[in-house]
Amino acid sequence: SHIQYERVGADVTMKCGSMDWDAAVTWTANGTDIDESHLNGSYLILKNVDLTHSGQYSCYEGSSWHLKYQTYLGVGTPPKEPVLMCRSNNYPKGFYCSWHLPTPTYIPNFFNISVIHGMREMVCEKDIFPKNRCHIKYLQLFSTVKYKVTLTVTNALGKNSTTLTFDEFAIVKPDPPESVVAKPVPNNPRRLEVSWQNPSSWPDPESFPLKFFLRYRPLILDQWQHVELSDGTSHTITDAYAGKEYIIQVAAKDNDIGTWSDWSVAVHATPWTEEPKHLTTEAQVTETTSASTSSFMPPPTTKICDKGAVVGSGAVAVCWTAGLVLAAYGVLFI
Amino acid sequence: MAAADSPSAALRRRDLCSRGIRLAGKMRSDVIDLLDTYVERQGLDASASVAAVEGVPVAAVERWDEQTGTQRLLENLAAYRAFRVLLSQMLEEHREQLGEADAALGRALASVLLQVSAFAYHLEELLRLESRGPPSEEGAPPPPAPHLGLFERKLRGLGVLRELAQWAVRSARDLRQLTKPSPGSVSAPIRAESP
Repeated sequence: SHIQYERVGADVTMKCGSMDWDAAVTWTANGTDIDESHLNGSYLILKNVDLTHSGQYSCYEGSSWHLKYQTYLGVGTPPKEPVLMCRSNNYPKGFYCSWHLPTPTYIPNFFNISVIHGMREMVCEKDIFPKNRCHIKYLQLFSTVKYKVTLTVTNALGKNSTTLTFDEFAIVKPDPPESVVAKPVPNNPRRLEVSWQNPSSWPDPESFPLKFFLRYRPLILDQWQHVELSDGTSHTITDAYAGKEYIIQVAAKDNDIGTWSDWSVAVHATPWTEEPKHLTTEAQVTETTSASTSSFMPPPTTKICDKGAVVGSGAVAVCWTAGLVLAAYGVLFI
Repeated sequence: MAAADSPSAALRRRDLCSRGIRLAGKMRSDVIDLLDTYVERQGLDASASVAAVEGVPVAAVERWDEQTGTQRLLENLAAYRAFRVLLSQMLEEHREQLGEADAALGRALASVLLQVSAFAYHLEELLRLESRGPPSEEGAPPPPAPHLGLFERKLRGLGVLRELAQWAVRSARDLRQLTKPSPGSVSAPIRAESP
């Protein structure tokens, strides 16, 4: 059995092995007979092939049905320039490079990567998974010499390559912080306590400390608040809107070099709110006199509430306790 | 030798390391700003490759994590003493070349030179704490600036500043290693009791 690869749009001629041109043959594609209109003598002619022409082609001698030739046809394209990315999420241990093709070729591709640092060629160990990735261990730290990474992709129809050149520091980007937790603070209607952990891939946070960026907003608003934290893995938000659910995320960066990580998984939390008190007496009074007081609407009340109970700017604070008391007074004076 | 392990010595060491780390951070930030200014004022290409410049201490190191505390201090001190000389030469050349025409660049160079000197002092103090004392600077005078053409001098200056920026990062890392109670530190500091 043979294998052949052809470009999309090409005209393909298949010979039936050593059979003469005028021999009587039958061609099949994936086990299905091919119409004689595609034959020129014993040659199979496929014009302007596309992806649907890929498959197993077999040629049988006319009368004996002996298999005379078999080939797998793969229709595809030569590779376009690959997309290459290199990053160090475990500084100072090393970095990894990963790649992909912007469009599929539909036929097998082979990738070769070379990493050069100054005069030295370094080994990029291929990862088992994902298979389009390899990693390099730093042999030197704090070097001003750039790294040059060249990725070449080859298939039966052509080759292409791309090169990245970068400084040791430029590609440092930690993974996002892990285990982000946000909790309300008891008896504090405007606070949320947020904590997180260094990404587990960052090997030595003591010697290579991370700094963090926290962002938060109530679900009902689009604008984020931001806080940058140079140390520690926790922070207390003190200006949350009472009773509103918040969305919170954290990002990390090496203290000195590189770029910010992606944002962590978002967590949700709502600040502590006071539980409504069980007011049996007032409720019963309101209930028994409701028929005669149906037209009476207690006015909205304001009181000098705790700042934390204000909901939104310019809003009037409604305090349940005062409202119920005034409702009860209203009932008594009718 | 007993003094090196005393609580006061440990606290002094930690204090010097903390201040040194902050100074290294500030120094790096200023060197990066100076690099931008230097490249612009000298008409250079920021991405130009500069071959290793003779006499400029190279920050690149292999097996950095295996270095002892003393090695770190000595290598840092040798580097910053060299940078002190190199920056002084750059400043002098700048004044000869441009006089007062580019005072901002001159001031930036002078500021970085001051920080380099301050950092070298920190390192000397750390070495004194170890009762080893810093190596003497007396003896042979610093090597004179090589006779280079104007463009070569500009490239050399670029190499000096780039390498200094790397050293500033390395130094902060080195000092953090010194504060760890591990083989990387000069000696295991005695932990202060928490309040």
